[in-house]
Amino acid sequence: MPTFKLDDREIPFEPGDTIIQAAHRAGIDIPHYCWHPGLSVAANCRMCLVEIGPPPGRPAMMLDILRQDPKTGEYVPAKKPKLQPACQMRVAEGMEVKSESSEHVSEARTAVQELLLLNHPVDCPICDQAGECRLQDYWLEHQGKKKRMHDEPVHKPKAQVFGPTIVYDGERCIVCTRCVRFCEEVAKDPVLDVRERGNLNEIVVSPGRELDHGYTLMTEYVCPVGALTATDFRFKARVWFLRSARSVCQGCATGCNAFLDYDPRNETVYRHRPRENLKVNKYWMCDEGMLDYARAHEERFVNAYVGEDEVSLEKGVKAAAKALKGVDPERVAIVLSAQHSSEDNFALLTLARDFLGSGNLFISGKPHGEGDDVLKHADKNPNTRGVEQLCSTTPPGSMSELLEAIAAGKITHAVALGSAAPVDVEGLSQLNKLVLLSPFDGPLAGYADVLLPAATWAEATGTYVNFAGIAQESERAVRPEHDARPAWKLIAALGRELGYAMDWQRLSDVRLAMAPDAGAAVASGSVAEVSAPTGAAE
Amino acid sequence: MEPLDIDLDEAELDIPAEPALLNVGPAHPAMHGTVKIVMELSGETILRADVQVGYLHRGFEKMCERGTWSQVFPYVDRCNYVSPMLNNVGFALACEKMLGIEVPKRCQHYRVILGELARMSDHLTCTGAMAMELGAFTPFLWMIKGREMIWDLMEDETGARLTHSFGRVGGMAKPPTPHFKEHAAAVKDQVLKILDEAQALLLGNRIFLDRLDGVGIVSPEDAISLGWTGPCLRASGVPYDVRKAAPYMTYGEYDFEVPVGTAGDCFDRFIIRFQELKQSARIIDQALAMMDDEGPINVEDPRIILPPKEEVYSTIEGTIQHFKIVMEGLKIPAGEVYSYTEGGNGELGFYLVSDGSGTPYRVRIRPPCFLVTAGLEKVITGEMMSDVVPCFGSLNMIGGECDR
Amino acid sequence: MSQRVVDQVKKQFPGAVLESHAQHGDDTIVVDPDKWAEIARFLKESPKTSMEMLTDLTAVDYPEREPRFEVVAHLYSLSKGHRLRMKARVGDADGNHVEIPSVEPLWASANWMERECYDLFGVVFKGHPDLRRILMYPEFEGHPLRKDYPANRTQPLIEYRDAPNIEKLPPFGNDEGMSFGRQTHQFMNDEE
Repeated sequence: MPTFKLDDREIPFEPGDTIIQAAHRAGIDIPHYCWHPGLSVAANCRMCLVEIGPPPGRPAMMLDILRQDPKTGEYVPAKKPKLQPACQMRVAEGMEVKSESSEHVSEARTAVQELLLLNHPVDCPICDQAGECRLQDYWLEHQGKKKRMHDEPVHKPKAQVFGPTIVYDGERCIVCTRCVRFCEEVAKDPVLDVRERGNLNEIVVSPGRELDHGYTLMTEYVCPVGALTATDFRFKARVWFLRSARSVCQGCATGCNAFLDYDPRNETVYRHRPRENLKVNKYWMCDEGMLDYARAHEERFVNAYVGEDEVSLEKGVKAAAKALKGVDPERVAIVLSAQHSSEDNFALLTLARDFLGSGNLFISGKPHGEGDDVLKHADKNPNTRGVEQLCSTTPPGSMSELLEAIAAGKITHAVALGSAAPVDVEGLSQLNKLVLLSPFDGPLAGYADVLLPAATWAEATGTYVNFAGIAQESERAVRPEHDARPAWKLIAALGRELGYAMDWQRLSDVRLAMAPDAGAAVASGSVAEVSAPTGAAE
Repeated sequence: MEPLDIDLDEAELDIPAEPALLNVGPAHPAMHGTVKIVMELSGETILRADVQVGYLHRGFEKMCERGTWSQVFPYVDRCNYVSPMLNNVGFALACEKMLGIEVPKRCQHYRVILGELARMSDHLTCTGAMAMELGAFTPFLWMIKGREMIWDLMEDETGARLTHSFGRVGGMAKPPTPHFKEHAAAVKDQVLKILDEAQALLLGNRIFLDRLDGVGIVSPEDAISLGWTGPCLRASGVPYDVRKAAPYMTYGEYDFEVPVGTAGDCFDRFIIRFQELKQSARIIDQALAMMDDEGPINVEDPRIILPPKEEVYSTIEGTIQHFKIVMEGLKIPAGEVYSYTEGGNGELGFYLVSDGSGTPYRVRIRPPCFLVTAGLEKVITGEMMSDVVPCFGSLNMIGGECDR
Repeated sequence: MSQRVVDQVKKQFPGAVLESHAQHGDDTIVVDPDKWAEIARFLKESPKTSMEMLTDLTAVDYPEREPRFEVVAHLYSLSKGHRLRMKARVGDADGNHVEIPSVEPLWASANWMERECYDLFGVVFKGHPDLRRILMYPEFEGHPLRKDYPANRTQPLIEYRDAPNIEKLPPFGNDEGMSFGRQTHQFMNDEE
């Protein structure tokens, strides 16, 4: 690979790379606001200016400037090199680039930083970006001085509603145009633009329009400062109290990599953030997925129920075992769930195949919805492929088939995972007993005779296989609420109660047992391997 | 009323013969800190002793690993609660050594003056309490009066009498008050006067001297091997004082002496503190004369020092600076350092390990008291039961520092 | 200044000094833990080094390293005025087999400091005459200064009194009090 020099360090690059890209790949962060790896280059913030040595045998391009002598106060002529934006400049073999090591660069960055903060309001205490704001980080790193202007700053409208999800603050905006470029290039709905010039310019929505396409929350995500804030997250939490779990979005079969941000003090999930994975979601997530985090605490079951009665988990498991004891396995249906992780499904499958001896497998899940050609998939279940892979020998029947079998009287008992269903499930009322393991309320829950509270994806680590067959691990964020437990744990407890040897204690035990079934990616059981954006099993 | 044991024959009583086992503490009133001594006695002679500490252990070193570097100051305050300013300065110097910065001269003098005043309060407490424990209550009250004056000055300067948390990495929390110099000079004079009176009262007292003289002798070799530092080591005749041996801040610029004992007994440890009080007064005199009335107290680095409050509320730069330092803490480059200063009881060391983040990775406080107390067993073994009190008093164990 | 001391040790014990540096002017050697006591004896007794005083002895826990613990001693020569930091790495990743020879026979100060180190880190000093807990009580389980000992764990000797409306809380919540820069997502450490 060809290399170039950045601050006397040899950096490899691929032909066509810009300086900032090559440095980014090498793990060196050249300070920047407007550049984003997933967007086109605008080179308008001027924060990434670097000094580039002249080609061999050529003089450096120097600018004539006047510099103020701090002692006399007089202006004296001086020279300085012409600096170039690292985000726009393509790398050439043997190029010598100075970033941190050039005094001209640090002077320029100081000046850019001073300019960007010139009209910035004193908003940090009430700004949601505080704590993850580039202006804060770069001020300390690259300026560290007070500004010289003491005039009243320019005032612009604050808290403008851009659409149902986004609020804009013109005073905090540095007009890097990342949001404008995102709407145009990724969401393909150029609804934002820049108005006015100089210190009066601001971002506006097209007249007669609202910022309401399917990826509006990404504009907030790409915003390097606190100008765009999400209605959903505004004033809800301070980011320095949040911790991030590397999760996988549960919204559809795309399986976007996300960070699930939670507060460890009250065990509450606050938001989703996209996690870079070039093989799956690149840098983005859709609005539905971004807001899907809220399900972690909505419509939850956190207690076991027998009929309508709330009971202890122990009693619930006993009741579930009682409902299944001595029943002809041919009459028991096992309903796997595309909403649950492979581990959960594997546990239920093991209970069915190895212990109960029932081969009546069915799969439940959410009904299909709309997809698009950016990220959204029509299959709204995160693990359909995972279940298919688990039952590769005998594909599970659909919910309609289950209902038919029930109507025909072939099935009298059922154990089901998850409460979502793609069709009307009134027919389930004919079941003798339905044992349901589900974190959420849903269509199936109404027919459950025994309900055991399962943990959500936010409360249990698990593997999900997306539509392309990539197995990805989603980490646990918060602890399971009240009596909720990971579904595989509940199934193992149920199995033990029925007298079977299901002695899994840890997730790794389940993974070890499922290794031959679920392919090599999960077999290793290591986080790194599972979540690495490789393993395209197609 | 008849005595209950009227019918008892003494021979029937199961009184253990020698050696008798005696527990002293952990709440014995003559114990400075919370310490327990289990003694094996033959008559009144101590055959063996086991000194047990830890009753005041609060897990400071663990807690230090859970905050920012600046949040360590309140903990070091509560280590030696008779001279917290010395600990504050000691920790600040350790951090500054890692950062490679030096505070302005004015601040160095200021730190020296406050530190020496704290040392005076430490020695006043120790010697006063020692006299009290041997029955001389009056000198104790006088000396505490002197300490009170020092604490009033501290309150004036820092806002708190005892746990100031006044040190900062890169300076002090506040500049000196306008009347600081007059105030400090006046306090110093008053304390010296009290000292002369107390000395006249104590050093002419036969009973007092007899209880100290020749009691609890520690040879210089033993003192060194035990890791003793400070007044206890110097009483044994070893002239080791960090201020002279490795001058830090402006200590190299002052003219002062290191008093050294000859016998290494309780009297030496007592009188050494008296002499050190006078030396501290000398240092304060010189530092007051050298200290500028105007000038910066803190280093000028936005990565280390908090901005003035009025800027925090009115400018975005001030807000950012304040936010970064409070929320993320000042960053200390990864590495390790051992920094040592002369605390009230000897070499106060800080062994710091940083992983480059805003939170300390390890803060090891090398407490002089811990090692001095470790030597108590050696000091009292073979002495009489009644000598425990002067011996223990002369070592000046500070529970907070010993147990952390 | 004490670079000469470092050289002396290197000359006397070839191969036993694994690393050396002088960060912030503190001369440091990292030695083979098996040679710990020998090197200490040499440093104390050799007239060229004559480290009469063991000023400090402690440990640092690096759970992600193997060997996991660093035992750190600070030596001072009163007669020569030089200092040296001596370190040795011991213990496996689970915190077992943390053993190092005691230097108690050389310096009396090692007695309590090694006890403290044993108490708070679980470093076993072989040959120490009286290796008991010193700051914690005998009933205490675990070693509090190890990084895997949760700061919010409490071990009261007497059960907390059950007073209405008063909840006894440990000084820190889960992850609380950590600065921004040290935030961690702790889930990997939990039993699943």
